[in-house]
Amino acid sequence: MSDVIKVEGLVKRYKELIALDHLDLKVKQGEIYGLLGPNGSGKTTAINCILSLLEYDKGTVTVFGKEMTPRSYDIKKDIGIVPQDLALYDSLTVYENIDFFCGLYIKDPVKRKQYVQEAIDFVAIGDFVKFKPKKLSGGLKRRLNIACGIAHKPKLIFFDEPMVAVDPQSRNKILEGIVELRNSGATVVYTSHYMEEVEQICDYVVILDKGNKIAEGTIDDLKNMIKKSEIITIEAAGVDEDTLESIREMKNIFSVNYENDLLIVEAGNGKHNVIDIINILQDKGYMMKKIFSEQPTLNDVFLELTGKNLRDE
Amino acid sequence: MFKYYLKKTLRNRGFLFWSLIFPLALMTFMKIAFGGLYDMQNSIDPMKAVIVDNGSGAFSENFISLMDQLSDKSGDNYYFDLTTYEDLDEAKASLEEKENEVLFEITDEDTINIYLMPGHSVTSSCVSKAVCDSYMRNYQFLMDAFTMDPEGARKILDNMADGISYTKEKENAFSSDPDSYSWYYYSTLVMGIFLSATSGVEIVSDLRADVSSEAMRLSVSSSNKSRMMINSFLARFIPSIVIVLIQLTVMHYAIGVSMGNEIGKLILFVISCIMFSLGFGVICGLLFKGSANTRGNKTTAVVMISVFLSGEMTSQLPGVFEKYFPIINDINPATLMNMAFYRFTVCGDDLGFYMNIGKITGLSVLFLLIGIFALRREKYASL
Repeated sequence: MSDVIKVEGLVKRYKELIALDHLDLKVKQGEIYGLLGPNGSGKTTAINCILSLLEYDKGTVTVFGKEMTPRSYDIKKDIGIVPQDLALYDSLTVYENIDFFCGLYIKDPVKRKQYVQEAIDFVAIGDFVKFKPKKLSGGLKRRLNIACGIAHKPKLIFFDEPMVAVDPQSRNKILEGIVELRNSGATVVYTSHYMEEVEQICDYVVILDKGNKIAEGTIDDLKNMIKKSEIITIEAAGVDEDTLESIREMKNIFSVNYENDLLIVEAGNGKHNVIDIINILQDKGYMMKKIFSEQPTLNDVFLELTGKNLRDE
Repeated sequence: MFKYYLKKTLRNRGFLFWSLIFPLALMTFMKIAFGGLYDMQNSIDPMKAVIVDNGSGAFSENFISLMDQLSDKSGDNYYFDLTTYEDLDEAKASLEEKENEVLFEITDEDTINIYLMPGHSVTSSCVSKAVCDSYMRNYQFLMDAFTMDPEGARKILDNMADGISYTKEKENAFSSDPDSYSWYYYSTLVMGIFLSATSGVEIVSDLRADVSSEAMRLSVSSSNKSRMMINSFLARFIPSIVIVLIQLTVMHYAIGVSMGNEIGKLILFVISCIMFSLGFGVICGLLFKGSANTRGNKTTAVVMISVFLSGEMTSQLPGVFEKYFPIINDINPATLMNMAFYRFTVCGDDLGFYMNIGKITGLSVLFLLIGIFALRREKYASL
């Protein structure tokens, strides 16, 4: 697959602050590319530099194989953006907003009408086309924001934190829609600090922190980067310190915590971690009520790589 | 794009309120509150005038005939109590002794000199000058008319007398006692025009990606920015013109405020002032910091201060500034617009009008050029 976006050595400074520090990115055609990082990590700055909205100090940006400049109208016609802040006109209706933004790209009125209707159907806001945005709920506004960004059927779409303040129902609907866009051939760049969303839809993920790329790969690649591969939780009453010590001495065990009858064990790669722990507890005669094992999340990856939570400021 | 920009403008309640509803409401209020007062102030007493005829022939005869028209107690245009002196010195002495207010000397070179009594009123100087100017302008035409059709010439004289009536207000626009009635209406009209500066701020928020996320979306699009600029400007400019024309219509026909009788100048005034206001709004939108709303509110505050200093609340204020701090009148946009209108409608001061319009237009061009330069920017240091 060819590179739709290629960023090399991108540096952006705000006086003393380095917002992007020699960032390299390669986005391949037809993938959902996740930019993950806490607030202020440089996700939006990276997008604005790629879109040639923001001046940068160093580096090159090519989109569809051509250098991206503010006047690259031939490139821009295939780009759509769903910005973090709602980019909607309060005085125009839902339909008019979509038609206005679609009209920036599509001049043929018949074709535009069809595209606008398809965008309305895509985000399922057909019942609200005559409403002004301020009459819509937060989730509907977000869906309208998306419709305005994708109505002209772009080949490359940037979603910059599109789920802020969106209810779970709308969130799932939107995420399904983004996957559908990818399936129909579009390339998607998706930024978020919600790791669940990124895990759910992204094919490839880059984790940013303080303008630096600290890790990249598929979700599985990232999870494999860390030692911890499994979190085992067992509910058992009255486990004594000797038993806990026996578990700690097991191979591949990183940490053992016991509190309120809950035993939480963080383990590395091992085929029989759960069975081995259960055997120890059974040998000591403990009754176990609930047993479950979780795979590490991207938050665990981020935590291990940076020592802090993804949603930290 | 233009269609939606226009819809945005027309659905902008703030713009419609401040530019149209508020000025009209204020004018209506003033009409109800002060309309009767104006009728009393607007009737002027005939002034004592004296003619010394040192001329000869048709020029002096016709002028005296015109003055007779204007001294007819039974006519609609009774402006002068007229007497004739043989001797110029004697006539001048009557001015010194304040027996007469104005002296018209017809010279043997077919010109008319005007002398005014010491401490004369602005009204007397304004009316006297208007009579002479009108007569001099139409003299040659009258000559032909008297030769061909004496009766027709009489009608022209009648019309000339009618034409003088609208100039019967003060001559000096910066008078310490201007015509308050007209002044308040003109100030209110100017306020409405100047408040369209908030539309100028919206042009900035339409187009600057560092001011609004909508503009960011526009900047990423494949549409040309110059095209967006033109559409955004016209979508504000055209409704503003319509709104001002509505106000002028109401002022003229419903309230009875004089608009002068030169439509060309009126249109020039409206177009240049709206351009200026939009340009001023663009500059404010660029200079002020904060959200689009904050920038708009700050601009409204600046406009209101400017309108206040131009005499919206206290009509004597520009006169006071002219005496002690004339620079305030020179740099205050609302005063410049107000004076342009007042000079053209009340004073018949063409030179003053064109000078003010020249300043306004010059500043408009400057503001709009700066605006175009700043708005066509497509890449930002920060967003």
